[in-house]
Amino acid sequence: MKLSNLFKGIRLPRPPAAAPPVDLPAPERVYLPLRQHRGAVAEAQVKPGDQVAIGQVVGASEEFESAAVQATVSGVVESIVQTVDPAGQKVPTVVIKNDGADTWVADTAEALADPAGAKASRPSRLLKRLRESGLVRAQVEGRPLHVDLSPPMAPQSYLYMTGIPVVRPVDTLIVNAVDPDPPVCPNLSCLTQVGEELAVGVAALARISGAKRVILALPAGGDASALAAMAGQHEWETASVSQTAYPFATDNLLVSALTGRQVPTPYGEPKDVGVVLMPLISALDVGRVLISGRPVIDRVFTVAGEVKNPQTFRVRLGTPIRDVIEAAGGGPSRPGKIIVGGPMMGLAIFDPATPVTRSTEGVLVQSAGNVVSYADHPCIHCGRCVAACPVNLIPSELGKLCEFRMYEEAAEMNLMNCIECGCCAYVCPAKRPMVHFLRHGKTEVLAGRME
Amino acid sequence: MNENLLTVSTSPHKLGGMSVRSMYLEYIIALAPALLVGLYYFGFPALITVLLTVASAAVSEFVASLIKKKPSNLSNLHVLCMGLMLGMILPPGAPWWLPIIGGALTVLLGMSIFGGLGAYPMNPVLVAWVALYISWPESMNAFLEPQALGTGDEWSEAETLLMQLKGDVSTFEMVELGALWLGNVAGFIGSTSAWALLVGGVYLLIRRIIPWQIPVGAVLGAIGMALLAAYTDPSILELGYEEFGANMNIVWFHLGAGGFMIAAFFLGPEPVTSPVTPWGTFLFGVGIGLMTIIVRTWGGLVDGAFYGVLLMNAVTPLLDRIRPKVIGKVVSGA
Ligand code: SF4
Ligand code: SF4
Repeated sequence: MKLSNLFKGIRLPRPPAAAPPVDLPAPERVYLPLRQHRGAVAEAQVKPGDQVAIGQVVGASEEFESAAVQATVSGVVESIVQTVDPAGQKVPTVVIKNDGADTWVADTAEALADPAGAKASRPSRLLKRLRESGLVRAQVEGRPLHVDLSPPMAPQSYLYMTGIPVVRPVDTLIVNAVDPDPPVCPNLSCLTQVGEELAVGVAALARISGAKRVILALPAGGDASALAAMAGQHEWETASVSQTAYPFATDNLLVSALTGRQVPTPYGEPKDVGVVLMPLISALDVGRVLISGRPVIDRVFTVAGEVKNPQTFRVRLGTPIRDVIEAAGGGPSRPGKIIVGGPMMGLAIFDPATPVTRSTEGVLVQSAGNVVSYADHPCIHCGRCVAACPVNLIPSELGKLCEFRMYEEAAEMNLMNCIECGCCAYVCPAKRPMVHFLRHGKTEVLAGRME
Repeated sequence: MNENLLTVSTSPHKLGGMSVRSMYLEYIIALAPALLVGLYYFGFPALITVLLTVASAAVSEFVASLIKKKPSNLSNLHVLCMGLMLGMILPPGAPWWLPIIGGALTVLLGMSIFGGLGAYPMNPVLVAWVALYISWPESMNAFLEPQALGTGDEWSEAETLLMQLKGDVSTFEMVELGALWLGNVAGFIGSTSAWALLVGGVYLLIRRIIPWQIPVGAVLGAIGMALLAAYTDPSILELGYEEFGANMNIVWFHLGAGGFMIAAFFLGPEPVTSPVTPWGTFLFGVGIGLMTIIVRTWGGLVDGAFYGVLLMNAVTPLLDRIRPKVIGKVVSGA
C-alpha cells in the first residue's frame, strides 16, 4: 500500500530502530496527578499519612469522563499538593513515599486467562473492568479508554452539535503500531514484545466495541514480523504504514487512509464513522489488565533527543520525568526544552519534575542551542504551507487572519478543522509561528461563541 | 536567575530549515546557467548591465529602508534576486542609465510603496520592465547579435526572432531550432537560452521551491494555444504545413523564443505574486501560456510572456479562491 506517497504533509527522518523497553526501578517518591487525561479531576481517596499498597485506589470520580488513579508504589502518602500538568493546568497530586516493599493490594478482579475468555465475557463487564483500571489512551490529552470505547452518550444532542448526519455502528478496530510523532516511539519499541497480552487485548477491544474487522497498522521498515505472525493466526488484517510521512499516522488521517471514511471534524471522532482506533501500547495494557486482574502501574516511555542514550523505558507511573532523563544518561549541559510528546505536536514543559502519567508517551530533550526560533516576518505567500497542510486548509490565509484578530473570518475559512499538526510552521520559510496563530485563533473563536 | 530554565513555546519544536534567504539563494543558483550563457554570448555589455541593475536595486533598498526607518532586507537576498532577474530581461545593448533606473523602479515602484516583501501585488521585476518599456522603447530594443566569448568583433545591432515574426510569418521556416534553444540568438541577456533556463527551472522544481503546476500549466497552455493558432490562423495556414511534425516546430519555436521560459519558470512562480492553491497555480500557469501565444500571434506587442505574467498576477486573488476541499469537513444539511 503506497497511499503515503500521495500524502501531503511533510517527510521526516525515519526513527532509529528501537530496542525493547528497559525496566526502570521504582523511584523514591511518586507523584500521582488526579487527572492524567482529558476530563474531570478525580477526588482523592487517601489522606496524608495513610499507608497505601500498590494498586490501591487513591483517586476516583463519579464523572463518566474520568479515570481512577491507583498507587504505583507501596508506602506512605506524604502530602497532596498542587502541580501543573504538561498542558499547563493545575491539578492536585498525591505524593507517595516508597517503602520499597512493593506490596500489592489483595486482588479484587478475577483474571481472564485467554482470548476465549475475553470473547465470552459480556462487553459491559469488560468495559467496567477497563473503567476500574483507570486506563487512559496513551497520547497527549488522551481520553480514558472506556470513554473512547463507549457509544456516544446522548445521540440526539451530540449529533446536533457536531452536525454529523448519521453515526454508524462500530465495525472496525484499528490497532496502530506506528508512532505518529517520531522519534518518540513507544509503540515501535514494543513491536517485538507482543504475545498473549495483545491477543487478549485485541479480542476484548473488539468485543467491547463490536468491531468485526481488525486492522493492524504496522510501521513500514520496523521489525513487525512478530505482529504479522500473530495477525496471521487471529485473522487480523495488516497494513503497512510509512513512518516518515508525517502526520499520516495520526488518528483521523489514518482512519481515512485505511478505511476510506472521513472522520467529521472538528467535533467528530473515529467512532462516528464506525472505527475504534487504539495505539498498540494501549491495546497491550488492556490485555495486561484483563489477564492479571490488576491495574497497570507502569508506562512505556521514550526519552529521545539530546540525551546520552536515547531509549525507551518501562517506568512506574508518577516517576518525575527528570529521573527518567537521568536514567537515559542525562540531558545536555544547557537544557533548552523538554517536550512531552514528539517534536511536531508535543507540549514543552517548564518543570522537569513533572511526573510520567498515563497520557504521556515520552519526551524529547533539546539543548538551548537547538531550540527553534520563530520570526516576526510577513507571509511571503509562497504556498509551501498550502502544499503541506494534510487537511487541505490554506494556512497562510488563516495565519494572517488570526494575526490581525479576524477570528470569525478565519473560522469561516475552516480554522476549526485545523488539527494543529504543525506542518505549515515546519515548512514556512518566513518562520512564522503558524501553529501559535492558529491555536490562539481557535481559542478566541471558542471564547467568542461562549458569550 | 536560574540558568537552566526551560523554554516553553508552541509546537512544532523543530522546523524544516528553509528560510527566505535560502529560498532566494536557490533562485539565484537556478538563474545562474541562463545568466552564464547570456554573458557568454553578449559579453561585456551584458555583464555591465546586469551588475548595474543589481547594484541599483541594492542601493535603492538601502535608501528605502533608511526612509522607512526599518532594518534593510538586503540580507535575505530577495532584492538581489529581483535585481538579477531584471538584469536578465534587459537587452544587452541598453544604455548605462537604463539598468540603474530599472533597478530603482523594481525596488521603489514595485515593492516599497506596497510595503515590501510579501505585500506587493504584481511582480516588481515586470512592473519595472514595463515602465522602462513604455518610457524608452528604443533603448529597450537595443538588441545585439550574439557572438562567442572572446571573438572581439564589433557588436552589431540585431532584431529578435519575435520581431521578425511580427513582420513575416515565414520566420518559422528560417529559424534553426537548435541555435534558438541554445540561446545563440538576439534577445534579452538572460532569457535567450531555453535549455539553460529549463535546467535551472527543473532544479527549482526538484528542490520544491516553486510549485510544479505553474511551469507545467504554462507549457501546456502554450502548446495548446500554439497548435490552435497553427491550425486556424490564415497566415500560418498559408505556409502550407500539412504534417503534425511541421506544426510542432511552431510549438518548439514558441517555447524556445522570447521570454517564455523565464516567465514560466522564474517570473511567474515568484512566490509573493503567484497563487497558493493547487488548481489556482495551475490555471495561473495556463494563463501565462495562453497569453504568450495570443499576443505573439495576434497581438500588437512583440512578446506576450511578461504581460501574461502581469495579467495573471492581477487575477491571483481570484485564483486563490479556488480552494481544495477540506478533509473531514461536515457538509451541513447533508
Ligand atoms: S493549518 Fe493546521 S492542519 Fe494545516 S498544516 Fe497547519 S497545523 Fe496542520
Ligand atoms: S509557508 Fe509561510 S510564508 Fe509561505 S505562504 Fe505559508 S505562511 Fe506564508
